[in-house]
Amino acid sequence: MSALHTIAALLRHGWARHRAALIPIVLAIGVFQFLLTRIAPAANEANWIGSMMAMLPPELRELAGGNLAMTSGGFLAVAYAHPFFILLLSAWIIRTSSAAVAGEVGLGTMDLLASRPAARWTFVVAGLITVMVGLAAIAGAALLGTTIGVGARALGVTGRQFAPIAFTAWLLFAALGGVGLLISATRRDGGQATAWTIAVVAGSFVLDYVARLWAPIARTRPLSLFRYYEPPVILVSGIPSITLVVLSSVLIVSVTLAIVIVQRRDL
Amino acid sequence: MTPAIVTTNLAKQYGRVNALAGLSLRVESGETFGFLGPNGAGKTTTIRLLLGLLQPTGGGAEVLGQPIGAAGTPARADIGYLPGELALWPGFTGWHTLRFLERMAQRPAVDRDDLLARFGLADADLRRPVRTYSDGMKQKIGLVQALQCRPSLAFLDEPTKGLDPLVQQAFYDALAAARARGTTIFFSSHILSEVERVCDRVAMLRAGHLVAAGTIESVLASQRRRVRATFTAPIDPVPLARFGDVLVSNPTQIELLVPRASVTELVRSLGGLPVADLTIEPMSLEDAFLEHYR
Repeated sequence: MSALHTIAALLRHGWARHRAALIPIVLAIGVFQFLLTRIAPAANEANWIGSMMAMLPPELRELAGGNLAMTSGGFLAVAYAHPFFILLLSAWIIRTSSAAVAGEVGLGTMDLLASRPAARWTFVVAGLITVMVGLAAIAGAALLGTTIGVGARALGVTGRQFAPIAFTAWLLFAALGGVGLLISATRRDGGQATAWTIAVVAGSFVLDYVARLWAPIARTRPLSLFRYYEPPVILVSGIPSITLVVLSSVLIVSVTLAIVIVQRRDL
Repeated sequence: MTPAIVTTNLAKQYGRVNALAGLSLRVESGETFGFLGPNGAGKTTTIRLLLGLLQPTGGGAEVLGQPIGAAGTPARADIGYLPGELALWPGFTGWHTLRFLERMAQRPAVDRDDLLARFGLADADLRRPVRTYSDGMKQKIGLVQALQCRPSLAFLDEPTKGLDPLVQQAFYDALAAARARGTTIFFSSHILSEVERVCDRVAMLRAGHLVAAGTIESVLASQRRRVRATFTAPIDPVPLARFGDVLVSNPTQIELLVPRASVTELVRSLGGLPVADLTIEPMSLEDAFLEHYR
């Protein structure tokens, strides 16, 4: 009961600290996905996209979603891997995971929090819930934007088809958020935690990107969490089991390690 | 009655640095305990160990009958804490800060209104973000949050830092009220006059080691006396110098720090000299403090 009370208080605290960032991110993502439904090719417009894609080198064409991107559904699925979408989700997890432990320690406010009857693990769990609920709001806003857009324009797809993609985006960034919490649990300053989490997210993204283009390092691609997030594939075939297993495992292991470290460290 | 704090060889080491070396201490329930020492002596480390913020590298401690660390988490509902380096969330208002910390304490803030009135914190002040507060205002918020839930034990680290004399007086009154309600106060301060004023017992730390502990009277009684004598005619001060450390010496005046046990013999020696005036003063807490840390 006491731990639940603490977590509830910390969640309200998290909302007070982060709502100013979450609200514009949610709005921006929703509007972005809606706008993409305005420019997505209808069935009778696929030719001009096809002509453009044909001019690209094969690797880049694959990167842009291949032949699937020439369809309305494929185009909208690829939008869920657009750098703008990735950037906003990354901004959320970097901000909230860094603030959960290292941010409070660095600010000096952890002394006030941890001197209360609050078990240390509650800081990690409350941070995780903040990350995941915020991600759910952002991914939900993206799905809502798509759903409203495809409802208003006949593109031959429904919003429901994009739900597995939005869910996988949520899971991918929850896993990255778990890694961010692990980093936060080991640092004494929010700035350091932010820098390290940016490095991990950007490094993972770049590794996946480069490994798709450059054959000599293609085998390292599974090391990137972005490898397990391929919206066009999810649209066509559903969420691969390996994606669920890897992303869930990373989330569980990183959060467990974060809790173990926070329990043992000096605050 | 269970003591508020018991430490047994409590130690904290950072690499090769001994921040606290085997501290054994007992603070009784209901007393106001002064904790003295220069910067880096280990005062804040001790408080942070007792609150479970740091992991000890040796020894152990009990606070309110519970071991420190994770096992002592529930006991912290009954503890208030004012950090020496108080940090607050800059974007939160005073009200938000106090209510949030009340929720975290899991006890109602029964004394908040009284404390706000004592420190002159008006509703309009509390509606402003903390980032607009002066250092003194922040310190007042820090004091209110530490005492608002009527804790059984309050750790106050440099509590009057940044407070003007009027607010300091209000703080002493608030402390007296808390004490009357049975709150144990663990009071860390550099301001020796206020420690002398509010504390029942004191402990002095030096480089992580306890150098003195007891009631203020007993600590002072164990210190040397300041003996000042003036003479109507010139004397030879050299024979008097053997009684203690000479602070001032000339043919018509001498001032010495003399161990308590030697005072009688010194007075006997002075009896044969042309003494015009003689004063024997106990050392103040400040003198005792300087004596230990010189």
